[in-house]
Amino acid sequence: VSRARAGRGERERHREGGPRRKSLSGVLIAAALLGLPGLSISGEIPRGRGRVLETRLPGPAPAAAQVIADDLGHPFPLPAAAPRRIVSMAPNITEILFALGLGGRVAGVTRFCDWPEAARTLPKIGGLVDPNVEIIRSLDPDLVIAFRGNPLRLVERVRKLGLPVFVLDIGRTLDDLAPLIERIGRITRSGERAAALAAGLRRRLGAVAAALRGAPARPKALVLLYGQGLWTCGGESYVNDLVERAGGVNVAAAMPKKWVLYKREAIIRDDPDVIFILARSAADFETGRERLAKTPGLAGVRAVKAGRIFALDENAASRFGPRLVDVLDRMAALVHPERFGGGP
Amino acid sequence: VSVKAGRRIFWAVTLALGAAGLVLSLLAGPVRTTPGDLIRLVGHPDPIRWAIVVDLRLSRAVLAFLVGTALALSGAILQGYFRNPMADPFVVGVSSGASLGAVLATALGFEAAAFGFSGPGLLAFVSGLGIVMLVYALSLRRGGFKVETLLLTGIAAGALASALTSFFLFMRSDSYDQAVFWLLGSFQLAEWGQVATVAPWIVLCLLASVWLAPDMDLLALGDDAAQALGSPVRRVRKAFLAMSALLAALAVAVSGIIGFVGLVVPHWVRLLIGPGHRRLFLASALAGGTFLLYCDLLARSLLPAELPIGVITAAVGAPFFLYLLHKKR
Repeated sequence: VSRARAGRGERERHREGGPRRKSLSGVLIAAALLGLPGLSISGEIPRGRGRVLETRLPGPAPAAAQVIADDLGHPFPLPAAAPRRIVSMAPNITEILFALGLGGRVAGVTRFCDWPEAARTLPKIGGLVDPNVEIIRSLDPDLVIAFRGNPLRLVERVRKLGLPVFVLDIGRTLDDLAPLIERIGRITRSGERAAALAAGLRRRLGAVAAALRGAPARPKALVLLYGQGLWTCGGESYVNDLVERAGGVNVAAAMPKKWVLYKREAIIRDDPDVIFILARSAADFETGRERLAKTPGLAGVRAVKAGRIFALDENAASRFGPRLVDVLDRMAALVHPERFGGGP
Repeated sequence: VSVKAGRRIFWAVTLALGAAGLVLSLLAGPVRTTPGDLIRLVGHPDPIRWAIVVDLRLSRAVLAFLVGTALALSGAILQGYFRNPMADPFVVGVSSGASLGAVLATALGFEAAAFGFSGPGLLAFVSGLGIVMLVYALSLRRGGFKVETLLLTGIAAGALASALTSFFLFMRSDSYDQAVFWLLGSFQLAEWGQVATVAPWIVLCLLASVWLAPDMDLLALGDDAAQALGSPVRRVRKAFLAMSALLAALAVAVSGIIGFVGLVVPHWVRLLIGPGHRRLFLASALAGGTFLLYCDLLARSLLPAELPIGVITAAVGAPFFLYLLHKKR
């Protein structure tokens, strides 16, 4: 089959002789390709947002409403009154809200928010990565607290509905915990309680540091996640900070990630003195410990030989909330039993 | 049934399905909504219900319809362009190029939203169009222009873009969730701003393609024959290629890659109403929109968590497509 191989000359001829409408269509396409910026106005079409806002906030806002920025840099006007219907988009936020005594004001949580017990019965907005915008809107919240681990596109979608959204960063070290609580206290207008809670946590962190001051050695620790594969916490995880504060050295600290799949050989090479397994239940921990002991090659590892394999509460350790300090207390006592009154 | 009556049935059924789909979209969702609620909404809108039904559900339904229109029209154009029923917006590399742009933007943290697009959406749009221009330029160089060269260059460029996409995804495993959005598509983020951005261009392309449809009919006879019959073949080809690329890039920019619509919908339509391009373009646009409207309904109602719509389009489209093919034979 022969195809057109029109040369330039032929093309020119058509440009001049072709029907007028063809060149018009060319202009049309060129406009489509080049003129897109012309549409920026239509991007600003009102979406009924104003209407929602008007009915939500009767009467003028107080003149001196203080505006702070959330952790994404979005301006957030501090509410004049304490929010009454808070949607929490992460388990650690839920936990902190309850710790601040605001449990009664939480209108919706994720399906992973199982602590404290009372959070379980609250309306569910979906998961961490699949929150449902429609359900969030239906709960009529006057404050939505999200964190950077939520899909920010969805968080933006919630914001565009006119709801007050505050996005929090994910903590990297335990130093971020008290400021996080104080920040949540600020936007929920419960600053005093937050300050007290934060001060208590700082005190406890200080106590652990004091107890470990001058400890002669830093045992090597490996923190494993219960389940398939040898998942451990890399240097970017706050668990790494937990290990260090507990007076140990995270063997996977050099891995520049939060979670890393560790290799069996690396465990043999690192020869950790103590192994922690993040487990949901005692049964899980036992299974994990047996599996570890049976893994070929690991029997000679120091922690396995000495039986220094311990459970950590996965529920508490996996969320950046006040219970991390409980986890730290336990870890420190297990890594340095000599400093915390004898054996574990 | 005569051809004419068959066509009438097609239009009536598709329009009815489209209208019903729109109403269903307003009713379906995790927050219970009855037809009575919808009627009450007109009289005295309750802000929460208004936000849910109009801001969330209606904008989403309209966007899904528009994107379906764009994809099906783009596919119909390309199938005529290449005289090849296998053609769809993927073959000239638009989809792969656009997904590369989106994933790159995500990996680099490019968030600057503009023209109603998100940052990744904007880069998806630009790179989707860019790759088509590149493919076109590459196929022009070898002494004139051949449709086969364009097709093969497009496939190669698309494969390269996909490889780069996978590479960036691999490097940034924490943006996995975003990646799924771009690679399998979703209307979760639909809003009126996006509708306003894409709607004018889609309508424009639909009108232009219907206008130019007689030339597309001539192309079916072969380029030389079309030329001899007075059609400015090169320019017509350029216009159609540009339109199909624009349509597909717009679609990817707001909703990620949604496969199968561009391939399958024009086929159904051709089997049902015949090969004339004017009718084919219009009918593909309507049927594509309706099809995607229902796919999105399924995507958001089948499971408590939303499914990527690309999963639905393929799962629903493929069996129905096979059935039609066999029935026709």
